[in-house]
Formats: sequence, structure tokens, C-alpha cells
Amino acid sequence: MRRRSRTPTALLRIALTVVGLGIAGLLYGFPLYWLVVTSLKSKAELFASTIHLLPHNPTLAAYSSVLIDRGFWVLLKNSVIVCASTVLVTIVIGLIITYPITRLPVPVRLRVGVLNWALSLRFLPPIAVVIPYFAIVRTLQIYDQPIALIGIYSLFNLPFAIWMLKGFLAEIPLELEDAAQVDGANRWTAFWQVLLPLATPGILAAGIIIFTFAWSEFLFALILTATPNAQTFPVGVQGLVTQFEIIWNDMAAAGVIAMALPLALMVIARKYIVAGLTFGVIREK
Amino acid sequence: MILLPALGTVFAVVTIPFFIVVIQSITADDGSLVGLRNFSRALSNPLLYDALRATGVYALLVLPTEIFLGLAFALFVHRTVRRPGLRAAIYVLAILPLVVPPVAIGVVARLIYAPGYGVLNVILERLGVMHQEILWLGDPNLAMFSVASVDIWQWTPFVYLVLFAGLQTVPKESVEAAQVDGATWWTQFRYIELFYLRPLFLLILFFRLADVIRVFDHVFILTGGGPGTSTQLLSLYLYRVEFKFFDGGQAAALAVAVLVTISLLYTLVTRVLPLERA
Repeated sequence: MRRRSRTPTALLRIALTVVGLGIAGLLYGFPLYWLVVTSLKSKAELFASTIHLLPHNPTLAAYSSVLIDRGFWVLLKNSVIVCASTVLVTIVIGLIITYPITRLPVPVRLRVGVLNWALSLRFLPPIAVVIPYFAIVRTLQIYDQPIALIGIYSLFNLPFAIWMLKGFLAEIPLELEDAAQVDGANRWTAFWQVLLPLATPGILAAGIIIFTFAWSEFLFALILTATPNAQTFPVGVQGLVTQFEIIWNDMAAAGVIAMALPLALMVIARKYIVAGLTFGVIREK
Repeated sequence: MILLPALGTVFAVVTIPFFIVVIQSITADDGSLVGLRNFSRALSNPLLYDALRATGVYALLVLPTEIFLGLAFALFVHRTVRRPGLRAAIYVLAILPLVVPPVAIGVVARLIYAPGYGVLNVILERLGVMHQEILWLGDPNLAMFSVASVDIWQWTPFVYLVLFAGLQTVPKESVEAAQVDGATWWTQFRYIELFYLRPLFLLILFFRLADVIRVFDHVFILTGGGPGTSTQLLSLYLYRVEFKFFDGGQAAALAVAVLVTISLLYTLVTRVLPLERA
């Protein structure tokens, strides 16, 4: 059978694979390539009359210009603080809600009700609720404070957390905790020493996905912050784009920085992202 | 029972804004009740219909294209790529666009479409196809195309991933039986695979439709809704009414209308979705 791998149909199949993947690769690779190349250009090169498609005296000047001269490292720090806090709050609340509905004998209607309600939140358009949130945030005097973003991001990521954690917890056999409790552990120790270690990979995956979502968020950050006190990185990127004269290499460098972290994290959590995005309809292989 | 207080708090935090926005929608800025006047003002604003039309055109450009391309690529990989390693590599590459911040994709799109520095015009010129600069973001129709292309770039992989996973659930026996009976790739798709993919199309349509209504970031970065109001989608329009025209009453009325529409859509579609219930 192996020898037949050179038949005309097999060759056609290989050719098709190369062409198909090549086109897709070009459509996805080239824009990102151009972003990186532009971010490595010097100011002088931006004003050159011909545009070079290949890197030409690459320099990291744009990165230092964005992070230091423009002070965007503060925004980066805000983003990290907001996203990490969001992950923490969301996972804790998510566990408080999913632990009982997966481990304790709660009425089925409550379970289904909680899950459906969480799912419905996924379809809430942010723009429709940003108006009341704006009013609430100003009343509470937390406008332009990281805490406002942390609260709202946690709320908006809770549906994901609930559905993902529910899936992970449901896969861990109840008997393990029961056994620990027979051995004299109380419910809390059984949770802390038996369930939690087993659920850690799932919790980490959920945390990473929530982190990337919060990292990408733009609308709430645009509306609820005003100064580097709370502005997140995407808001800074937007500032570079909509100003009168666009400095292309700075803008591109900011774009690279904005996408670097989520891309790196996603390679780690790759097995779970599709399950997360489809609320468990599609499970990983 | 720690569940009930936790749920209660979250429920309250979620629900209070709805009451506030409903109250905002029936009051004037000074707090006096104005009944449905905000709604009638919102509905009589011609810009609303521009926004609805733009959103509709955007959805019609984006959804069929994404579903068609995603399906084509899923079938293509399913039929031609056999090596597990290559399949796994395609999987990893396909999830990457999904997590790129839309703001950053907006930046990439600017680098491609912008006048002057935009690389698309440079390439077209060097290939000798273009003799006069094309204003990708300056012409109303082209601007809509540019904005839609960004969505297609980011979300076609999602459609691919869902449908490819669906194709893996098609039982091998029925496909082999069909092949023995001499089924072409089209009949194999039409009569066997499509059957397994059908619920997934609904799922994709539902998730993507909800996303189209909330599209904001990359359009804001790329065109800001312009030129004119040609790419001013619903969420950009709401943003403008509230934060540029400072017409809180009208914005709240629009927000209530959007919320009601979404919940109707939601109740309608969840009845037919294959969501895990247990």
C-alpha cells in the first residue's frame, strides 16, 4: 500500500494541499509579516520615497519610542493588573457557582437555570449596557480607576468561566472526594486537597482564555478610562491610530506588543480554546 | 450554602443596569419622565436607519463568506491532509487569529489599506495591476469591503475549527459504504457530512450574529464609521449618540431596543441549539 503513494491521485492530493495551505498561509502570514516589518523600520525610512517590502536596517527604535518615550509601559502595566485581577475574581466566583452545581445535590432546575442564564449573558452586547455602567461607575466614583474595569470584565467573563469550569469539574469522579471524606477529611479539605489539584489544568486553561479576552477588550476601557491611571494598552494603541499624523512604525510596534502576549498564551492553552468559544459544544480531541 | 448568596449578588449586579437603562430611556436629562418620547426620537432619526443598513450589509458580507470559506477549508483539510502532525499544526495556526486583539487587527488593516503607506496599493502597483491609487478606506463601498475583510480574516478560522471538529464526528463506516457505492465527493458531502454539520451551522450563525451586533473595535480603528456614515455599524452609532452627541435619553432608548431584540433572538435560537443541557 505504501508504494502507491506516488499514484496520480496521491500526487494531485499533495499538490492541492500545498496550494491550499500556501494560499491560506499567505493571506494570514503576510499581514502579520508586514506589521512586524513596519515595526522594525526607522523614522527616516518611513519618509523614504520607495516602500521596502523586505526589512531594511531593522531597528527596535519604535518599541522604545512607544514604551518609554510615549510612556506606554504604564498602560501595559495597567493591562496586566486589570487582566490578572479579572482572572482571579472570575475564577473564584466561577468556582463558588460551579462547585455546588456539579458536586452537591442541587435541584436540576437550578442547575439548568444557572447555566442558561450564564449562556444568555454571553450574548449581551456591551454597547447596550455600557450606558448604564457609565452612570453607575460615575456614581460610585470609580471612573478612570482599574477597579471599574476589573468588575465589568469579571462580569462579562463569568459565563465562560462557569461553562468551562462546569465541564472540567464534571469530568472528575465524585468518588475521589467521597473517599477523602470517608477518611475523615471535611468537605473543604476534600475540595482543597483532592478536587482542586485535579482541576488545576482546566482552571489554568480557563484563566488563560479569560486573560486574553480581558486583554483584548477595548470598548469599556475606552469609555470608562481617561488617563494613564487606568487606561489599558488597547486604548493607547487607539490613540496612536486616530491622531492626525500616524507614525506608522510606532503604531505597528504597539500592534505587535498588543498581540504578542495573547498569542504566546494561546499556544499554551490551545486545547481548550474551541471548547471555550463554543461553550462546550465542540470538545477538544 | 454559599451558592445562593453568590448567585444572588451576581444576579443583582447584572440586573440592576437593566433597570437603570430602562429608567434612563423614559426620562429626560433633568430626570423628568418623558414617556416614550426618547423612543420616538430614536426611531425618527435617519442615522439609525443608516446604521441598521450598514449592519445588515456587513452581516450579509461577512457571515456567508465566513461560512463558505470555513466550510471549504474544513472539507479541504479533511479530505486532503492526512498527516496528524500537519492537522495539529493547522489547528494551532487556526486558533491564533481568534485571540489577536481586534484593535491590533485594526492596526494591521490600516497598514494594508491606508492611503500613502498601505501595502496593498504598493503591491498592486508593482504587479502593474493598478495605475491610480485606490482609496480603500475613502470610498464608501470599498470602506465597507475593507472593514468586512478584517472580520472575515479573524473569524473564518473559527468556522473552520467548528466544522472541522464536526467532520471528525461523521462515522467512518457510512462514508466508506458510500464510497463503495461510488459516491462522488459532492454526494458524500451533500448526503452524509452535511447531516452531521447542520446543527453546527446554526451554532455558528448564532454566535457570529451576536458578534456582528457588537462589532466595534476594528471598525473604530480602521474607519471610525466613515467615510460619512457608510461603515457606522449599530454599536458605533450607539457610541456616537451617547458619547459624541451626549444624547443620553436617545442612547438609552436604543440600548433598550437592542437588548429586547437580542433576548428575543436568544430565546428563539436556544430552542434549536445543540447545547449540552445536563
